[in-house]
Amino acid sequence: MFSRRVWFVLGLGLLSALVLAACGGSKEGTEETATASGGGCKPSKSVETAYDKAWEQGEQALELTKLEIPKTELCEVDTSKWQKEEPSGGYKIAFAAQGPTNSWAAENEEAFKTKAGELGVEELYASADGDATKQVDNIQQLASQEPDAMVVVPMGSSITGQVKAATAQGIPVVACAGTIAPSSGVVSTVTRSYELQGRLWAEWIAKQIDGKGRIAMISGIAGVPTAEYPKKAAEELFAEKYPEIEIVSKQYDDWSPTKAKTVAASLVSKNLDAIWSDSSFTALGVYEAYKEAGRPVPPVTGDASNAYLKAIQNADVKFALSPFPPEMSTQCLETAISILKGEPVPNFVNVEAPAFTDKEKEKYLRPECSENLWIPTKLSDEELKSLKLCE
Amino acid sequence: MNRAGALASDFGARVAPLAGLVIVLIAAAITSPSLFESSNLRLILFQIGLIGITALGQTLVLLVAGIDLSVGAVIGLTAVIVAAHTDGSDGALPVAILLAAAAGAGVGLLNALLVIVRGVPPFVATFASFVLVEGVITAVTRGAPSGSIPSGLHTLGADRVAGIPVPLLVFAVLALVVGVILARTSAGRRLYATGLNPRAAAMSGIRTPLVVASAYVACALFAVLAGLVDAGYIGYVDAQLSRELNLESIAAAVIGGVALTGGEGTVGQTVCGVLLLAVLLVWMVELGTGVGGQLAVEGAVILGAVWLQRQTLSQKRSVKG
Repeated sequence: MFSRRVWFVLGLGLLSALVLAACGGSKEGTEETATASGGGCKPSKSVETAYDKAWEQGEQALELTKLEIPKTELCEVDTSKWQKEEPSGGYKIAFAAQGPTNSWAAENEEAFKTKAGELGVEELYASADGDATKQVDNIQQLASQEPDAMVVVPMGSSITGQVKAATAQGIPVVACAGTIAPSSGVVSTVTRSYELQGRLWAEWIAKQIDGKGRIAMISGIAGVPTAEYPKKAAEELFAEKYPEIEIVSKQYDDWSPTKAKTVAASLVSKNLDAIWSDSSFTALGVYEAYKEAGRPVPPVTGDASNAYLKAIQNADVKFALSPFPPEMSTQCLETAISILKGEPVPNFVNVEAPAFTDKEKEKYLRPECSENLWIPTKLSDEELKSLKLCE
Repeated sequence: MNRAGALASDFGARVAPLAGLVIVLIAAAITSPSLFESSNLRLILFQIGLIGITALGQTLVLLVAGIDLSVGAVIGLTAVIVAAHTDGSDGALPVAILLAAAAGAGVGLLNALLVIVRGVPPFVATFASFVLVEGVITAVTRGAPSGSIPSGLHTLGADRVAGIPVPLLVFAVLALVVGVILARTSAGRRLYATGLNPRAAAMSGIRTPLVVASAYVACALFAVLAGLVDAGYIGYVDAQLSRELNLESIAAAVIGGVALTGGEGTVGQTVCGVLLLAVLLVWMVELGTGVGGQLAVEGAVILGAVWLQRQTLSQKRSVKG
């Protein structure tokens, strides 16, 4: 009798493993990159040019020749319906922030706060602690304080309904460092294009291995837009343009360097030619795992952190980094003010940030600063000191 | 149910983790032969070391009918203290370790006070500690821990001796020590007695509050050690990892057969659970199941282990009845 139970228990685990293994390639739902629309939106050459500029910088910095820019609905939003005389105490702008759960968010929020001070804006702040559910409440609370405009760093698609309620209340909303579904009525989205990030890294990888070889893809958190959209863009590009590139393994590492190292350690035996990743935390884990195994580190991609550059500063590692700059919150704030002044704004602002490769590592490394610093930074020395990020 | 049946059931529960390990190894050999390559084996051995250290502490708490959900927070706190105090300097490491140990012991004491003095259920008390410590870390560091991990910790987290990862050796030594204490000393007997029936233990002269408090403090100190190992492994303050080791430390002990109801289980069983879990986790990565897949399989195995435990327990009771 006991053997039946034992077999049942073991079978349960084994069955789950095999079922999940079979489903390993699938992922949680994603959505199309949102392009905002609020008032009337008319096509604009200048908006398209500004959008393309970030792509062109990436293409040149990574020495690519074939970076195709996917079609995106771009236009200039007529903001006259939100125009508002600036009150004597300055505009009151709500900031539904991520909350200081990591150094990226700390820099993101410090930059917003400083810019608000410079522009004489009254900031209404709410921290989501990285949680979309909490952010739903935050947006509701902030909207009840009747701000002139609201900037939201979206924590997930579940906030769409609450953003829609805020826009219906007449509050213009700017999506910052992420996207919110267009149905929410968000006026403008200010972020670095996920497609740009994903394709830039993918093209650079393809170039390193001459369009053929074995690669792995390591992303952050399953289901989170910041992880899923760049991954999707890269997968599409590999499938369309590089049929001889075999994606041997697709993994998630929760943007944890430790998990990245354990995931990468399991990939060492797979004789990979390159590793596509969306984070420098992952790139750091990859470097540590291969170094420990005594194997050459394959070309790797990610965003740009001082931690990674410090780790590899004396190593011979090929990499391409494309930042997702936390200071983009200042552009979000400026866009919100433009809306309140009735100035036309792009429905999508593609944030420019210098992509770079290992050839320029000395230029971007900040040895005097903490590993938590996201580079390159526009924060002042005083701000960096107050955040304990630099000496 | 006769006594022979109950014994067979008990034996079945005890060998289940080992049988599971064998089956997983066979399945892995069929589906992912690369699991047995040296880099993966090294990874499995490291995972055994890291999870094992936390699982030993968790075993002590489970044996007194408790549970510790603050393990992950203490791991995170350790890395933050070491980075902030040393700022990468090996010379400052001994003091940093003492500070981290004191902080960890403080969290353990807090857990014990909540459970013993205020009668808060262990699940609630230790979860509150987890949230409190994480909150303090976030408030103090504002999400960006200052300083860096000294290279001296690399030896503890990432070095190997004769090809064996140091964390595994540390775990092996600790498992031996804890195993001997539990099986051969009066302290061990007091721990089991307190977990099985605290009232009876108290009536027989055992100072049960002291025993329970010792278990929570020891668990926190094991978590401090795991924090040092993890910091040495990656050389970076990893704020993302803490929650997972909470679950894995409990999972390993429970999968091995340590009872959630207290008073039943051995270090040997925890070791079996750790082995099975570590192999399973690395195998899941090999299969490309992703984080969700790993958690689902882990959950399924825990469910199975708890189900098996309940069956064994009810059969024992029916024999006694």
